Amino acid sequence: MQRLKFIDRMSQGKLSRRDMLTKASAFGVGMLTLPSLPKAADVLTCLEWAGYDDPSYFKSFSDRNGTPNFSIFTGEEDALAKVLAGFSADVMHPCNYSVNRFVNAKVAAEIDVTKLSNWKDVFPALQTADGVVMDGKVVMAPTDWGNASIAYRPDLVDEDFKKNESWGIFYDDKYAGKVAMLDSELCITFGLMLDGMSYKEAAWATGDKLKAAADKWGRKCTANSRFLWTDPTEVNQALASGEIVAAYAWNDTVKNLTDQGIPVAYARPKEGFFTWYCGLTLLNSGKADKALAYDFIDAWLSPETGKTLIEGSGLGHSNTKSFELADKQAVAKMGFTDPIQHMKDGTLFIQVSDQVQTEYNKVWGDTKALMQ
Amino acid sequence: MASMMRHTEKSTWMSGYALLTPAFLVMAVMMVAPLLALLALSFWTQSGFEIDRTPTLANYWTIIEPSDEPFFWMGIPFPFKYPPPAVLMLKSIVVSLVATVLVILLAYPMAYFLAFRVKRNKTLWLVLLTIPFWTSYLLRVFSWKIVLGYNGAINSALKTLGLIDQPLEFLLYNPAAVAITLAHAWIAFTVLPIYVSLEKIDPSLLEAATDLGDTKWRRFLRVTLPLSAPGTIGAAMLVFIPTVGDYVTPMLVGGPGGTMIGNLIQELFLRQNNAPLGAAVAIIMMFIIGALVAFFFWVIGFRKLRSRVS
Repeated sequence: MQRLKFIDRMSQGKLSRRDMLTKASAFGVGMLTLPSLPKAADVLTCLEWAGYDDPSYFKSFSDRNGTPNFSIFTGEEDALAKVLAGFSADVMHPCNYSVNRFVNAKVAAEIDVTKLSNWKDVFPALQTADGVVMDGKVVMAPTDWGNASIAYRPDLVDEDFKKNESWGIFYDDKYAGKVAMLDSELCITFGLMLDGMSYKEAAWATGDKLKAAADKWGRKCTANSRFLWTDPTEVNQALASGEIVAAYAWNDTVKNLTDQGIPVAYARPKEGFFTWYCGLTLLNSGKADKALAYDFIDAWLSPETGKTLIEGSGLGHSNTKSFELADKQAVAKMGFTDPIQHMKDGTLFIQVSDQVQTEYNKVWGDTKALMQ
Repeated sequence: MASMMRHTEKSTWMSGYALLTPAFLVMAVMMVAPLLALLALSFWTQSGFEIDRTPTLANYWTIIEPSDEPFFWMGIPFPFKYPPPAVLMLKSIVVSLVATVLVILLAYPMAYFLAFRVKRNKTLWLVLLTIPFWTSYLLRVFSWKIVLGYNGAINSALKTLGLIDQPLEFLLYNPAAVAITLAHAWIAFTVLPIYVSLEKIDPSLLEAATDLGDTKWRRFLRVTLPLSAPGTIGAAMLVFIPTVGDYVTPMLVGGPGGTMIGNLIQELFLRQNNAPLGAAVAIIMMFIIGALVAFFFWVIGFRKLRSRVS
């Protein structure tokens, strides 16, 4: 009754300002002194690539701790900006060429490998590889490794291309609107390589050289792309329907499409194909228990996850036992079992300095913004 | 007596504010505070991974710094050293204007029909109108991707009818697709205000116009259209203002050539890790839209229009 009266008086304007303020502050004080409800333990949050949030990749973790939260990014730089802006994630999935950015930004924490039961089975060479270890500290637990090259429809491209596979397809007007490049500054890097530069030189290009390359190659590759892809599903669908005939792709695209009976070939471009290894990094912005983060990483390192990764996506896994556990045919089809030999066969993506990366980000962003 | 009246006046005034307080508080916390934060951010600078908090106009200068060699976009010279904000601003305004005109052209007849032709079950009609809005905005954008896509509804239909051999590729991934999607997404928001202003029109005025010899078309132009103008203009603003800064639609259906200013702001905040510059672009965008809307109202003499109606 009292409450009704109060509202009545308020709506009739019979309430003095002092009364109003007293009541309002009483309400405020009341709210503040209410016992706060006990908070549930924080759930693990993982910054992840699209598609890698598949529950089969961390089954043992979910069995014990329930489902983690995911925040999906399109590139490592997006994820880094999000963390720097105050987003609390516990784990992030960078790669050998990008983990330095997280270390330099001081958001990555050292990983204590003694807390990872599966660490002993990780390929010894990967345990000490560049990017896994930085300045003597393990900053990334390697999980998956694979290629980056051109996936194309052999039934829809010209014979010329099949005989002479090249990154040039993204800059060839004959294929304008028929290709899809990743939304990445590699658009410019590959162009520089077509100009005869080595990959390493191109990745470190700056200043006028970079600007000129962005004008000449970056614009071309953006304009010729039906879309710049950010999500593997998008590119898989477009390749399957024939909307595009070639795309920058990782092994999973080729594996998924061939499994569905769609003719897709994985190119070995004359300028070289690329290799990478990625892993999980502990972030110091996390709110969940560190033990949860270790459990999540350990789940990713398990041979069961490796089996799923090899059989489902055609990607390599860091655990040696994964290859014994996985279907022999799937392993044979993948064509590689030794990460070190694999990295040597292709061109490994490399880290560049923060300054170069920032300049590349800016030039690539401007290129995209100024498309007609 | 006089003091009594003053007292009642004051308490009406007081209760008005008391009733508005919740809304004001929400606005202050959810809108004004973030806006002020954005404004403060725009005067700082990014250096490496850190934000330098020394106040400076550097970001604003970056956006307007002139260059001797103009950048040409669609044949239009942009004399800026860093042209992306200017170019995308213009492009976003054009795309939004197209979307707004499309929306009004589609919504006006719908509202007209509702106001003058529907006699019974008006509520049912109004509810029917909102059905597409029972799903999320994102789903609606995706469904446009399916409608306009390579193997989408339009292309499949045309192919089945034998009108084309190859799917039409110009439907998706360009600014036109963005305008179409935006137009559809905002239509329900415009039908209602136009409907309300049409509904208010006194039928005797229309009768009088007919009695005095106006044809249907002239009656519409001289009576109905001017009287429904306030609602229509309000509806147009309701579409134009939010769509200029939209970024999810161009991201999904725009393709490489369909980016808008919202995409640049997102890119600056995220991938380029330059939140202060992104904030400055956002603030300038807000001022430009504000100025455009003010200019528009001034040109059409909104005040006069409103006083004439009431």
